[in-house]
Amino acid sequence: MFSNKMNTMEDNYELAKWLAGEMTETELKAFQKTPEYNTYVRIADYSSLLHTPTFDQDKMYQKVVTSEKKTKKVIQLNQSLIFKIAASLLLFIGIGYSYVVFSTTSEIASNGEKTIFLLPDNSEVVLNSGSEIKYNKWNWNTHRKLNLTGEAYFEVAKGKKFEVETNLGTVTVLGTHFNVKARDKRFDVTCYEGLVKVNFKDQSIVITHGESVTFENEMQLDGNVNSSKPEWVDGDLVFNNEKINAIIKELNRHYNTTIELKNISSNQLFTGSIPSENLEEALEILASSYHLQTKKINSNTIILEAVNVSK
Amino acid sequence: MNKTKTTGVCEESIYSNIFKTNVKSIRNYLYFKFGNEERANDMTQDAFIKLWENCADVPPEKAKSFLYTVANNASLNQIAHQKIVLNYAKNNVNTDKTNLSPEFLFEEEQFKNKLEKAISNLTESQRIAFLMHRIEGKKYAEIAEILKISVKAVEKRIHGALLYLRKEIEQIK
Repeated sequence: MFSNKMNTMEDNYELAKWLAGEMTETELKAFQKTPEYNTYVRIADYSSLLHTPTFDQDKMYQKVVTSEKKTKKVIQLNQSLIFKIAASLLLFIGIGYSYVVFSTTSEIASNGEKTIFLLPDNSEVVLNSGSEIKYNKWNWNTHRKLNLTGEAYFEVAKGKKFEVETNLGTVTVLGTHFNVKARDKRFDVTCYEGLVKVNFKDQSIVITHGESVTFENEMQLDGNVNSSKPEWVDGDLVFNNEKINAIIKELNRHYNTTIELKNISSNQLFTGSIPSENLEEALEILASSYHLQTKKINSNTIILEAVNVSK
Repeated sequence: MNKTKTTGVCEESIYSNIFKTNVKSIRNYLYFKFGNEERANDMTQDAFIKLWENCADVPPEKAKSFLYTVANNASLNQIAHQKIVLNYAKNNVNTDKTNLSPEFLFEEEQFKNKLEKAISNLTESQRIAFLMHRIEGKKYAEIAEILKISVKAVEKRIHGALLYLRKEIEQIK
């Protein structure tokens, strides 16, 4: 009769309820009628009379408070110091790492020099004198985008969209060889292989290999090239209908000189090739083309003055 | 630093209060667990030393839990648990002894011995919960908090302990 009840009691841990005095009156009355009840009462009674051996609490307290505190305090201080050092080290490493990873990478070619470097995807870039390229290394493979000031020649590895931004316009390619020159108001793009899309203000044109496009003062100038890469990469400076003062600026960048023009209209156009390794010869070419007199102030400062031809 | 000083238990009055309220209970807990007086005392002392060492980092309300955690972690490192030897009932004096018959006294002594033996044969978890309730007079909720288990789990252990004890005692009879 009660044994059935006991089964459900076990599920509800009724014995625990009884021991804690949490049984209802009816439950208790039923429980009291069982033959086991008496034994449970005695277990409860006698177990509550049990004691653990005594121990000296005060002595333990003294041991705890006196002996250990000092040595430990020192250790604690060291620990916190070590943690601080470790934390700041980690912080520096973290900052350094994120600086390396997330910061903009710059490549610069100052006047008189050229810089050749590889982008993270092994695209090759030749930076002409007085030019700069900025890009982000960390997401390069998903965002092949860089910012160019000046002139550069690109041999782009095959891959996703590759964008060159300049202050004048944007060039978008998929994997070609091309040259971008953004100087002053003149924006030149020359394609040596594949297809290149050029965005200049609202216009968007596509040029293929052997073609070039120039935007200057709202004017668009199409051209053709026969070479497989820009001449400046290998030595010569080639100009196609460029203003004389732009050519002088280019020479100044290449030779790191200060060449000044005097008494000559800066709007005269020049088409031709000028050596980039021989300043004397370069000046000679210009002087003979425009009837100019060369005055060397010192090794780096030269004045080109129109010869007073009475004609 | 100031913050930890005000929230910690480094103040001796606070610390000694924590010591007084918890030392016996922790020591008994470890004693129920191992049945070894010396080891229980040493481990209790170690737990309090650890609290003292870290007094700046332990807020008063966390001190108790900290002590039991340290005691528990330390006991994990102890190798073999000794079979609990409960010789403490001898100290008890039954005040009504004189009015009882010798037969009853004999029977009572026998019962006590059986109970001691049976308790020492309980599983560790049942024994700890049962003795915390009987000797320490702790409520199930408090036992649950100390052992980091649910009240239901405490009830299960107590229930199991009572069931086992009765069966052992009646069987030995």
